[in-house]
Amino acid sequence: MEIARERGAGAAATGPRSEWIVRIGTGFPIRFAGLSILLVLAVITPGFTAAPSLLSLINTGSLIGCVAVGMTFITLSGNIMSFSLGATTGVAAIVCAALSGFGAVPALASAIAVAIVVSAAQGFIIGYFRANPIIVSIAALALIHGAAEFATGSKTIYAAENVLDFLKAKVGGIPLAGLVFLASVVVGQVIQSYTQFGQRVMMVGSNLRAAIAAGVQTWRTVTAVYALAGLFAGLAGILIAGRYGAGTMEYGEGYDYSAIAGVLVGGTAIAGGEGSVSRSFFGVVVIASVTVMLLLRGFETEYQYLFIGLIVLAAVLLQGRLRA
Amino acid sequence: MKPPLAPILEARAVAKSFGAVQALRDVSFAVAPGEVRGICGENGAGKSTLIKILTGVHQSDRGTIVIDGAERRIEGPLHAQALGIAFVSQELSIAPHLSVEDNIWLGHRDVPLLHRRRALRQRAREVLELVGLRHLAVDVRASTLSLGERQLLEIARMLVRNARVLILDEPTATLSDREIAQVFATLRRLKQQGRTIIFITHRLAEIFEICDSVTVLRNGYEVGSYATSEVDRTGLIEAMLGRPLEQMYPQAPSTAGGPALVVRDLHIPGSVRSLSFVVPQGCIACLVGQIGSGATEAVRALAGLVYTARGEASVGGRPLRFGSVPKALARNVRFVSEERAAEGVFLNLSVRENLLATQLDTLGAGGWMSRQRLTAAAGRLAGMVGIDGRRLRSRTRELSGGNQQKVAVGRSVTSHGTGVLLMNEPTRGVDVGARAEIYVLMRRLCNQGYAILMTSADIEEVVGMSDIVVTMYRGAKVAEYAGDAIDRTRVLSDIIQQQTAMAGTA
Amino acid sequence: MKFLRQLLGNATQRVFALFFILSAAFVALALPAGLPLNWETAFSVLQNFSTLGPVALGLGLTMLVREFDISFAGMFGLGGCVAVLVGATSPALGIAAAVAVGLLGGAAQGVFMTRLRLSSVAVTLGGLLTFGGIAYVLTGNRNVPLGNLELAMSMNAPILEVFSIRSLVAWALFIVAAVVVGYTRTGRDMIATGSDVQASVLAGVRTEAIIIGVFGASGTLSALAGAMLSYSLSTASPAGLSDVSVPAVAAVILGGASLSGGTGRPLGIAAGVLVLCLLRTGLTTVGVPPYVHELVTGAILLAFAIGDGADLMRRLTDVERFRSFRLRAPGPRSS
Repeated sequence: MEIARERGAGAAATGPRSEWIVRIGTGFPIRFAGLSILLVLAVITPGFTAAPSLLSLINTGSLIGCVAVGMTFITLSGNIMSFSLGATTGVAAIVCAALSGFGAVPALASAIAVAIVVSAAQGFIIGYFRANPIIVSIAALALIHGAAEFATGSKTIYAAENVLDFLKAKVGGIPLAGLVFLASVVVGQVIQSYTQFGQRVMMVGSNLRAAIAAGVQTWRTVTAVYALAGLFAGLAGILIAGRYGAGTMEYGEGYDYSAIAGVLVGGTAIAGGEGSVSRSFFGVVVIASVTVMLLLRGFETEYQYLFIGLIVLAAVLLQGRLRA
Repeated sequence: MKPPLAPILEARAVAKSFGAVQALRDVSFAVAPGEVRGICGENGAGKSTLIKILTGVHQSDRGTIVIDGAERRIEGPLHAQALGIAFVSQELSIAPHLSVEDNIWLGHRDVPLLHRRRALRQRAREVLELVGLRHLAVDVRASTLSLGERQLLEIARMLVRNARVLILDEPTATLSDREIAQVFATLRRLKQQGRTIIFITHRLAEIFEICDSVTVLRNGYEVGSYATSEVDRTGLIEAMLGRPLEQMYPQAPSTAGGPALVVRDLHIPGSVRSLSFVVPQGCIACLVGQIGSGATEAVRALAGLVYTARGEASVGGRPLRFGSVPKALARNVRFVSEERAAEGVFLNLSVRENLLATQLDTLGAGGWMSRQRLTAAAGRLAGMVGIDGRRLRSRTRELSGGNQQKVAVGRSVTSHGTGVLLMNEPTRGVDVGARAEIYVLMRRLCNQGYAILMTSADIEEVVGMSDIVVTMYRGAKVAEYAGDAIDRTRVLSDIIQQQTAMAGTA
Repeated sequence: MKFLRQLLGNATQRVFALFFILSAAFVALALPAGLPLNWETAFSVLQNFSTLGPVALGLGLTMLVREFDISFAGMFGLGGCVAVLVGATSPALGIAAAVAVGLLGGAAQGVFMTRLRLSSVAVTLGGLLTFGGIAYVLTGNRNVPLGNLELAMSMNAPILEVFSIRSLVAWALFIVAAVVVGYTRTGRDMIATGSDVQASVLAGVRTEAIIIGVFGASGTLSALAGAMLSYSLSTASPAGLSDVSVPAVAAVILGGASLSGGTGRPLGIAAGVLVLCLLRTGLTTVGVPPYVHELVTGAILLAFAIGDGADLMRRLTDVERFRSFRLRAPGPRSS
């Protein structure tokens, strides 16, 4: 059995073309087919290629996308997902709005710093004690909400006039949010592919025990993963604060679910150690496109929820199918 | 004279192969009611395959199974149980959160939905008494039981299913002497009741203590079945080892240098007691012992993986702190795990990523990782350990066991060229061809200045590869042999029984 | 006495002890302060219990078999919506429909995870989003009024001062679950599955059927809780009428369940839910702002998560070793 399999792989590795196919992996045809269908559907949807829909596509996708970049690292590291990234986004938006009176730079910097600290603290607990990531992030969700309520009294915090408006700017016709998302994807992918940390994340996610045996200080890697996730969630929070000129916990609600949806639809394995930031980019694009298309075709918002749910379920089941 | 009884269970010329590996070749044997039959043989001799065929886990390729004179096809473990054949595996199947009584009846088909019945409880008490666990309350949780008690509980479970043939796979491997005595007393009682017992063990002394007869397997062949009254220990060991040492082990050069690894008073709670030894540079040393001897754990402790380890160790004269893999790596101590899939390699990652897993910091400055350097360095390592350069980008999962092991070894080779290489079971699950390659590789590393400390359950490998052998029994060192003093029989007798142990200090 | 021990188990006794201590503390705090202490307080605790209880029970059962059902919040909302939409004319039919949806949805997830060997978290994450989506589509993304105030009144009418139909149903569910887990072969197999799934398979337990059944039960319980809450408030919301996710997880963990499986008994979970509900009511009565309750819940969860951590003992030894190293360091020591 083992020997037969190796022969097959050995034969495949002889020519450059077949090696390419081996590397792309078994999931590729399905992903390719899915994207093609989506593209055709998009083009034949009236108004999809018009400027307003594309703008809305970018706006919807970018915020989710930033969180998804961070979530990708959590998933890759074998910690499934964080239920508190949405709340972290909300907190960042609140901090950003609250401190906007001191100027844009202190506001943005503190918002991101708070997001990093909140998330990294969870990463430390998960990595150092090997506590369950799901429970820790749910606990963090409650703590963050409690703390935010204490600080704001459940009121929306409005930003100082005009300070955050530059976040709504467009560069060459593309909203700043879109550019931030693109930059996040590039930075995230570079971190994953070209840093030792990125390699350690893959090792920890692929096989925690083997990573320990190979001398990885896993708690440091996991803490850093969550810090990074906090950073990207913080970016999304800033963009939200800029968009609404205000911050409240409600703005962050649901971002964790949308982000994990993007990650899973992109094809990153829920078990960790397999996938990439750029896959999540495509996942988010798929979800945002479906959302916009449904709107254009006259479906109400509720159908978005259902379709996203079904897509995520399908993505999860497909992963099981491919592995089996 | 007892009249010869008709066999209760018989295997007639059963054969089984897995892929290209012939695990069992036309093995025949028969056991009579009330007989205690030992089965022994080295690792890979075919013992577990034979058992799995008898219990329906595997189906044989050829040959037949005969129960009570009738040819039967055993569909699966549950079918085997229904036919009266019960198996107690090495991995116990006790649910720790359940009570003793619930564990006895767990999985039994005739338990009613409302299962708390006086009759069931009564029967549970009866079988507990039969296996010598009368002192146990039936509602105590199984998690509070000792390993020996769990083993007996497992036997009790088989008894409520009216097993007539009990197959036990190394039941004593992890037990204390007192617990072993308890298990044996139980087995004798069961024998008196006319039940048949098939007993697999590495410990020859136990065969002579408990078995009426013994079947020896080697390389998938049946060497023979003997009455224990007609054979002695030496004869049995010869039958197990059989053929002369194969020429697969490279010649050991006599280039021992100064002490590379010095271990003094290593202590691991629950597994190792004050273990001391020295491995000189350029030498292969082997810790040998059964499961539960602490050999594997001792090596893991040196790798930094056992945080409860205490004692002193030094590498090249510099102290080695236990409980931290990075600290071990800093002393250039590298580890090849006994559990390749679970701990040794990253199956999802590519071969080159695996090869460089312990030396990421050499691939670029300031936390960066150069893909070019990764490829170049991996190519160099692959060349050193004999992995096809075209396989570097393949997923490690797609490689054979032998090639995966080469990847695991390749990771441990550093550019410095010297260090300590720790290898638990270096050739477990590796086919013969790749084994020879790994042996050559190990010797080459020694010539480069490495010191290798390994463990192995394969006595032939131990004798063939080691320059120094440290035998262990239940957590303590028994003896140490070097060079020509390394002798199969002595090593084997050291690790399977205590009485001759102290005599053999080299 | 033995009967009680069988029914409770150790962890359960501990949680009940905690509950009684908390109750006493609450009374001791409230009495001198002249705060209102009457049957209504107990009634309100039990009303909260009837919403959170069944959801927590379902989650707890999945944790007992060493899985984790995060779809409960989605099923909780969906159950309420289905009940209100179907039950406009016949409330019984509405409940039946909600139960059917919960059972099928939950069992389907169980089938997926056993057949495809997927982790329960992954599958139920998909389930959570899908169930929520279905609820949104069914209701057209708005709150749906039931318009049956009589039903709402009768759902919430006090019985024996402190109970209501809802809380009696919730207690009945807990008792049934306790009997199943504590007294039946099925319950025994559930504990075995969570305790050591490999060992259970070896022993002959049909673990896949157990897992599918438990997820079916979990879906049913969440849907039923949602339906009852919707009836008593006479409305349904696709987002769920109450945020149950954090308190349910906290209650289950508090009730003695662990992610390592095999632990957590129904009555322990009931006590865990009671503790949380008492905390909420108590803190509100004493006049503490609501965020304190969230902070306390979060802190409890976090503490239990750390206590359950695989490396906790190791890290504690690290600290100890560091201390002993510092103590030894000044002495004369040759290496």
